[in-house]
Amino acid sequence: MSVTARQWLERIRALDLPDKVRIMNVCGGHERSITQAGLRSALPSSIELIPGPGCPVCVCPEEDVYQAMQLALREDLILVAFGDMLRVPVNLPKREIRSLEQARAAGADVRPIASPTEATRIARDNPDRAVVFFAAGFETTTAPVAAMLAEGAPDNLSVLLSGRLTWPAVAMLLDSEEAGFQALIAPGHVSTVMGPEEWEFVVRDHNIPAAVAGFTPESLLAAMYSTLRQLQDDRRFLDNCYPEVVRPGGNRSAQRCMAETLEVTAANWRGVGVIPASGYALRSHLAAHNARTLFPSYEDPERKRIGQMPAGCDCSRVVLGKIYPNQCKLYGLACTPRSPIGPCMVSDEGACRIWWAGGVRDRADTEVA
Amino acid sequence: MKITAINGYEAHCEAKGVERDVSLFMMQNEEVAVGDFVMVHVGYAIQKMTHQEARSAWELFDQALGTADIPLTTGDDHV
Ligand code: SF4
Repeated sequence: MSVTARQWLERIRALDLPDKVRIMNVCGGHERSITQAGLRSALPSSIELIPGPGCPVCVCPEEDVYQAMQLALREDLILVAFGDMLRVPVNLPKREIRSLEQARAAGADVRPIASPTEATRIARDNPDRAVVFFAAGFETTTAPVAAMLAEGAPDNLSVLLSGRLTWPAVAMLLDSEEAGFQALIAPGHVSTVMGPEEWEFVVRDHNIPAAVAGFTPESLLAAMYSTLRQLQDDRRFLDNCYPEVVRPGGNRSAQRCMAETLEVTAANWRGVGVIPASGYALRSHLAAHNARTLFPSYEDPERKRIGQMPAGCDCSRVVLGKIYPNQCKLYGLACTPRSPIGPCMVSDEGACRIWWAGGVRDRADTEVA
Repeated sequence: MKITAINGYEAHCEAKGVERDVSLFMMQNEEVAVGDFVMVHVGYAIQKMTHQEARSAWELFDQALGTADIPLTTGDDHV
């Protein structure tokens, strides 16, 4: 017999909770499930659920989006990217081409894809043309890109990789003076691939309760219950509330693909800055498939210093869980999914878009932390 | 998604009427067969799914202490 969402809620309500507990999630899928299931209003008001750094499109550096756009506009090549990436704006004046979608409208061959296997297929179908796969994503998405490379990509296919590791951003928050949360819901599919053990540092080094969750209300509530009970009973451990697919050690085969093809490097996070050992780069033996090596003149270090978010956009604070989406001055006014200003309103995994799609129309004035 | 056919590293999968080709390249450490369920992300199977329900380790602790106050998940009665 399974525990229903209602029963998990009852168990949470029966706990002896402090006046305020902030639980952070770091996965756009979690935030979407929480918002769609209305978990915030179902939980006791002392519990705050904070969306943290869970949107890989939102943290993809502006200079990488710019580089992909310039490649598509200036070289005779096919630029493929996950659909979300196409509408992400760079910081250029409105009259200029500001997104891959606009580059496509201006004649560039930009194609949205849903899987690395499509990039391979497009490269095979167009043997005379270079194909660049602009791949932004966390571990769950970067692993398939690694698998595509490990399996052997066509000669004319290269990757402009903006892969990121999830846990270093959480480590950075926890190492800062004001982490702003007392419990962590660890990402389900990142843990499926990398193993739940990656999150043990949260408990071990920071004494913060943590639980891996899946995407059903039952799994999310189980994880919330687990972390809250850890606080109540003053006993800490990393719980796995998503045993359906999260196993000790994760997916070794995926990890092997990643180790063979990628190395971990320092990486820039849009709106956040450089985080050590938080990004992936292609290993040197794959230089022929590395768009950064093949088109070096498109690296533009100057761009890194240009404001990382569009003027007025508070995505950087939304991404770090410092404010809720509806605390941004532009939320729902100048910025909506129809005319997004920042990446958090563009991506399906961005908190601003998830909240807007979930029907949050009022604006909040109080700060999270 | 449920695997309906396998050809090398390629599987044909189905879920709720949607059919898809899925790469099994990252499943080399697992035995996968037609009829198995896999979790799919961007066209790649990332793990075989088991039939375990969401649960918390607290249930085991409570059970050990004899203080379980809610039904325990047995983990094998749902897909
Ligand atoms: S509402 Fe728009 S402008 Fe404000 S933080 Fe979100 S994406 Fe940026």
